[in-house]
Amino acid sequence: MQMIRLAIRNATGNSFRGWVVFFCAALMAGFVISSTLVIRGANTSLQLALERLGADIIVIPEGHEQRLESALLMGIPVHCWMPDTIKDQVAAVPGVVATSPQLYLSTLRGATCCSVPEMFLIAYEPETDFTLTPWLEKNLDGGLEVGEAVGGSLVYVPRDEGVLLVYGYALDLAGSLDPTGTGLDQSMFFTFDTAFEIARASVTEAVKVMDIPPRTISSVMVKVSTDANVEQVAAEIDAAIPGVTPLETNKLFKGQREQLLSLLNSVVALLGIIWLLAMALIAVVFSLVVNERRRHIGVMRALGARRTTVLKSLILEAVLLALAGGVTGIAVAILAIYLFRTLIVGLMGTPFLIPAPLGLAALGLGALALALAGVVVAALIPAVRISLQDPAISMRE
Amino acid sequence: MISLNRVSKIYPVSKEVVVPAVRDVSLHVERGEFVVITGRSGSGKTTLLNLVAGLTRPTSGQVLLDNIEVWKLPDKEQSLLRNQKIGFVFQFASLLPTLTAVENVMLPKMFGGEQNQERVYERATQLLEQVGLADKFKSFPRQLSGGQQQRVVIARALMNEPELLLADEPTSDLDEATEHEIMELFRGIHTETGVTALLVTHSIDLASYGTRSIQMAEGEIVSP
Repeated sequence: MQMIRLAIRNATGNSFRGWVVFFCAALMAGFVISSTLVIRGANTSLQLALERLGADIIVIPEGHEQRLESALLMGIPVHCWMPDTIKDQVAAVPGVVATSPQLYLSTLRGATCCSVPEMFLIAYEPETDFTLTPWLEKNLDGGLEVGEAVGGSLVYVPRDEGVLLVYGYALDLAGSLDPTGTGLDQSMFFTFDTAFEIARASVTEAVKVMDIPPRTISSVMVKVSTDANVEQVAAEIDAAIPGVTPLETNKLFKGQREQLLSLLNSVVALLGIIWLLAMALIAVVFSLVVNERRRHIGVMRALGARRTTVLKSLILEAVLLALAGGVTGIAVAILAIYLFRTLIVGLMGTPFLIPAPLGLAALGLGALALALAGVVVAALIPAVRISLQDPAISMRE
Repeated sequence: MISLNRVSKIYPVSKEVVVPAVRDVSLHVERGEFVVITGRSGSGKTTLLNLVAGLTRPTSGQVLLDNIEVWKLPDKEQSLLRNQKIGFVFQFASLLPTLTAVENVMLPKMFGGEQNQERVYERATQLLEQVGLADKFKSFPRQLSGGQQQRVVIARALMNEPELLLADEPTSDLDEATEHEIMELFRGIHTETGVTALLVTHSIDLASYGTRSIQMAEGEIVSP
């Protein structure tokens, strides 16, 4: 006969009270893990998307700011054009150390290559690029050849086709980027030359021609000197070049960030309320349990159980219920997040990245530890009170 | 073995009102005696038993068990003393309802820190056989009659081979036939093991089972 068996028997002895504590622990742990996953995941996504851009400022045609954010966040393609001379004008602004143009394109709607109705395609200029090239040099020992592309983590080659067919042009997928949780995971990157090859092939191979207006670009990625002020450089670009908008990347996704902060505040407040209510309920349940078992606790003391033994057996009972409830709550919350991810992203308007299994396990353990602590603290007061009582008093009617 | 020197126990009901449960009692019980304490309800018998067992602190006076003043011991040693030296039989249903009969009997060994589960189980089953419950090892208290439950409690009380057996109205909820069966069991245990026994009952008829009887009234020993 061991203490653990006694605790298990007691925990399962009164099913209603057991279920109340189990449910409270599940609620506490489940709420912590789900809110942490979504909010932390969304924040990580935004951060990774910004890092992926790798520029201090993005210069785009005026009026496309919102659509560019949607393209980067949700992968909804944006089509915008401006003269390629803008690149040189931007380069001439004091404080700018590097500029590189990009073309924003998209696949045909419903193309077989892609898991999304229209895939966002980004063409870069290898000679000047400083955003993707460092990654390519590190991971692919060099740049991309004509006809090659790198995709976001969700881009794959259809098994029956063996290549990615874009406007009838066969692209080789040379590599995959790490996931960001954003629309960039469903985007593809290739060189300007590849973009022009696709455009040429589309004339004869595709149902619709890929149109790239001559001598145009979609954006200019800008790197600012370390001793220059990004905000000031952006203001100078804005003043010097009409018809464009310089977007400071650290100010991108401002709306989403504000929304996340407000969501975080609401979640913290809700979390506080849920925890207080759950702990109060557990404390009441354990007071009832202790009161109901008062005589038997007195008997245990009479049979030689020390005060600490009584305390341990009650706390162990609480720990077992909290563990069972916490693990269930965490499992249900993670499953729900996987199943309803699209719905949650739609409601929040911000994508979120679910961490790798190890990170997920660490978060789960953290949530479990918090729920465990909550239950134990709530059960502690009645447990200490009864353990300090004279056995004879405990045994009286 | 037991010495009570001018022991009193007063329960405070409110700031002004107190109830003296035991008043200035002195009692000496020799090793191997079987003392039956009789008295009406509220005469202080149960409180006296609790004082002897160290289950409640005396308001004044001294309680000695083998010349050790129980209430001067820290909780750890007090608990160990109860566990190793004293066996309890209570008036109320004192079996833990979530444990089987054999698990209830094993409890004192668990509280004493015994690690050899096999040996503990064997001893518990032997005791249950001894009290006539060989076929009830796995029964839960709710599946046993009142008399059977009290037999399990007696087996539990004997688990650690105590030097002192304390029984508080062990037959109060039983019919007359079972009452005498249980009292015979006590007498048999006392004769066989030589354990010192202190039994509290409201029934004067049961006084004859002991080697000595004491009567209490209004918190005091009135005879002999």
